[in-house]
Amino acid sequence: MEALIDALLNGLVQGLIYVAIAVGLTIVFGTLRLVNFAHGAFYAVGAYTGLVVAEHYGFVTGLIAAPIAVALFAIVLDRVVLRYFYDKTPTAQILVTFGIALVVEETLRLIFGGTTQQYPTPAFLQGAVQLGPIAYPAYRLLFAVGVLILIGLVWLFLIRTDYGLIVRAGTRDRIMVQLLGGNIRQASTIVFALGAAVAGLVGAAASPIYSIDPGTGFEFLVPSFVVVVVGGLGSFWGAVLGGLLIGELYSITTLVYAPAANVIIYVCMALVLLFRPQGLLGESEVIRQS
Amino acid sequence: MTTASVPAESANAARRSLIASDLRFVLLAALGLALFPLLLHPIGGYAGLATQILIVSVASIAFNLLLGYAGMLSYGQAMFYGGGGYVAAILLLRAMPQHPNLWLAVLGATLVTAILALLVGAVTVRLYGIYFALLTLAFAQMVFFIVEQAKDWTNGDDGLQSIPNAVLPFGPWNLDLTQSLPSIDLGIFGNLGDIKLWYVFAAIVLIAVLLFTRLLTRSQFGEVLTAIRENEERSVMVGFSAPLYRLAAFGIAGALTGLAGALRACYDGTVAVESLSIERSGQFVVYTVVGGVQTLVSPVVGTALIMYLENVLSGKTTAWRLIEGLIFVAVIVFLPRGVLGTLLKQREKNPRSIFVRSLRPRTEEPDPLLKPVAEGHRAGPMSIIETFKLGKLFGRFAANHDIDFRVDPGELRAVIGPNGAGKTTFFNLLSGTIAPSTGTINYKGRDVSRVSGTNRVHLGIAKAFQTASLYPDQTVRQNCRLAALARVQGPFALQVLRRSTRLDDVDALAERAMDRLELTGVAEVRAGDLSHGDKKRLDIAIALATQPQILLLDEPVAGMSKDEARKTEGLIRRLSTEMTVLVIEHDMEMVMGISDTITVLHQGTVLATGTPAEIRDNQAVQEAYLGGHTEAELASG
Repeated sequence: MEALIDALLNGLVQGLIYVAIAVGLTIVFGTLRLVNFAHGAFYAVGAYTGLVVAEHYGFVTGLIAAPIAVALFAIVLDRVVLRYFYDKTPTAQILVTFGIALVVEETLRLIFGGTTQQYPTPAFLQGAVQLGPIAYPAYRLLFAVGVLILIGLVWLFLIRTDYGLIVRAGTRDRIMVQLLGGNIRQASTIVFALGAAVAGLVGAAASPIYSIDPGTGFEFLVPSFVVVVVGGLGSFWGAVLGGLLIGELYSITTLVYAPAANVIIYVCMALVLLFRPQGLLGESEVIRQS
Repeated sequence: MTTASVPAESANAARRSLIASDLRFVLLAALGLALFPLLLHPIGGYAGLATQILIVSVASIAFNLLLGYAGMLSYGQAMFYGGGGYVAAILLLRAMPQHPNLWLAVLGATLVTAILALLVGAVTVRLYGIYFALLTLAFAQMVFFIVEQAKDWTNGDDGLQSIPNAVLPFGPWNLDLTQSLPSIDLGIFGNLGDIKLWYVFAAIVLIAVLLFTRLLTRSQFGEVLTAIRENEERSVMVGFSAPLYRLAAFGIAGALTGLAGALRACYDGTVAVESLSIERSGQFVVYTVVGGVQTLVSPVVGTALIMYLENVLSGKTTAWRLIEGLIFVAVIVFLPRGVLGTLLKQREKNPRSIFVRSLRPRTEEPDPLLKPVAEGHRAGPMSIIETFKLGKLFGRFAANHDIDFRVDPGELRAVIGPNGAGKTTFFNLLSGTIAPSTGTINYKGRDVSRVSGTNRVHLGIAKAFQTASLYPDQTVRQNCRLAALARVQGPFALQVLRRSTRLDDVDALAERAMDRLELTGVAEVRAGDLSHGDKKRLDIAIALATQPQILLLDEPVAGMSKDEARKTEGLIRRLSTEMTVLVIEHDMEMVMGISDTITVLHQGTVLATGTPAEIRDNQAVQEAYLGGHTEAELASG
């Protein structure tokens, strides 16, 4: 029983990391029709930024600096390279973002070395909380609550602001939005930076839980792709549902039969692609356009 | 007799020149590969690196076959590369530790990966773009983790070491590939004795693979594969089975990749789980894209370039992987044709022959796909196509519903109706582009509701699209030839070595279709460069080259000038003397002029059917078109 609760909570924490990355992937795909293989790099850049800043100015400052740095990085990337690829085929987009991911990963390796690093949990957040029969690390609980609030804020941005309106309309019909005078260009850049900032913030916040190395971006990106495909590419709540599902599935399988844990999420993705290619909450028109 | 021998002779001459060209290609490749390790020496490479490059190149060529020729971006090629390595290693370690035989190990591995590729392909080839890339990636990850966990067989993360050095039985000899060539000092080009027999073997394999892919890409199979990449919608609607073609390409590429992985494992004497990793899959992407897609040897150039740089730079700086990434991004952004493609800047062209022979008469054989019609739905003796309560739902919107429709053989039927009446949906149902939600379609008294569009083309239902659907990069003649090829060969033919030019009927059918639509004058023009009217007529010619019995024309004169429209109208009228023609059209002058009968669709169902005169006087039809207003009201408003 204790083991099961522990597994469920671990699955929740891991799932929420996937959700945070997947939400960025999915809204960027929704507005820009861009499949971003470099999105995992935002997580890694955020984690390393947080690490460096936190060493000198404390953990909280690191959490503030990480999303800002990553958002700026994303805007530069968007302006310098990616905007030339918005209208290219998905294949060209996959290739160029894959290349960017390689460059970022290797740059991080050059600066920080290939070794695994982990930021210690700050002293004021250490300790455990008694949850029924088990004691669970306080930081992980706080992290889970924080990510949930963050996702809620992103959702509010999408439904309450003018930018959000343009983004949601752009998901439906990009050209129509442009014809109606919506500045989808500017909105796209903001969405891109927002998705990146979310990934970067979570990367920094998760570094006391999961150690990082230059390959971390890819390690989290691949399961996040599983998450968006399972949830439905372009669907916000699909990414949330998919992330929680995949996180729990992984965690529970680890408990039941650990060797199968890594295989099962890909089996899950393959089944979804075969029987419901638009994903659990996706709309079927998206798949035809891509 | 004399007339027949002329084309036969020129055919022989053409064949001889093709063989000579293939021979030249092999000799050039052999010369290049003979010089390669020697040239590598003064710039810091070594013979062993040359061998590795050649082996990995085989996998890159296979990847390019998918990406460059079939348009499939697979992110899971490592499952075949590593898979081939593991199968070869396990065969050598377990099945024949006493008498390790390289042939058996490599062929066994190739066979197993071919089967794996066909199994994975069976479920992946129906997806496109990002979905295909991600699903192949998912399967590769499954294989990775399964191999990693099956420790009894694979030794988990440690991989398999000390794979026995396999001998290569060849005629009376048992070759040991680790032996060196005779020691001859070649000055700055190193010593011939540094090169092992492994290099020679790898070079022979690479040349064989290059020759095979060269033949494949120019073969009938390669021709269709390229056509499907260029325009799948059209390819399906001239009668090619796109999924089977893609599956075959995936299987062939998987087998070649497995071959490369097996060779690499035998050469290294070890195999590790890294050979199955995402990074491995990504490497094939990098090698191929840097070299360039769509030319045959460019992946070899890319592989050699990156592996060489990796080797030279990794000793000098820790940043070589970064440099590799930067090269990759730079190539995608600045040289989308790849390094070699940019240097060459020319496209290979298929030489085509133009012999004509008599048409093969069209035989009527019962199709096993056809079910007998349910009782009570039996069509009348005269109808060629008939629908009962046909309907199509998109979500909750009924684009078509309750359509009862019947056309007699030889009839020219116009289908008209206001915009949004469901005309194109109705044609898509008839042609099999989409499946009906309700009701049935009978073709010559047999239920074809569940027969795919591809198979319906082979039964004799062909369609020209509302927006002309062509192969823009091919000539007008080749556009028609592809349709004729589908007619002659059927939905799928695994002719990976022979060219379609040997099939004389194809050229004759194409020639006739062009002649009917008065396109012979522009036969050698690239389809994408045609005028709008010629494009529309070419679309009809493509449909005609499949030898249809029913021709579905979706707005054939839309957007044409008045003169062009009248010309096309005449051509359609002539076609209708030989086959049943169904035409959607807004040009009322034409509709009233050429139709035997008119069916009016309104709000997704049949409003009226009758002769042009009856339709013109029909009150309901007038209301549908004018929205219940009189013409005078509309004119004043």
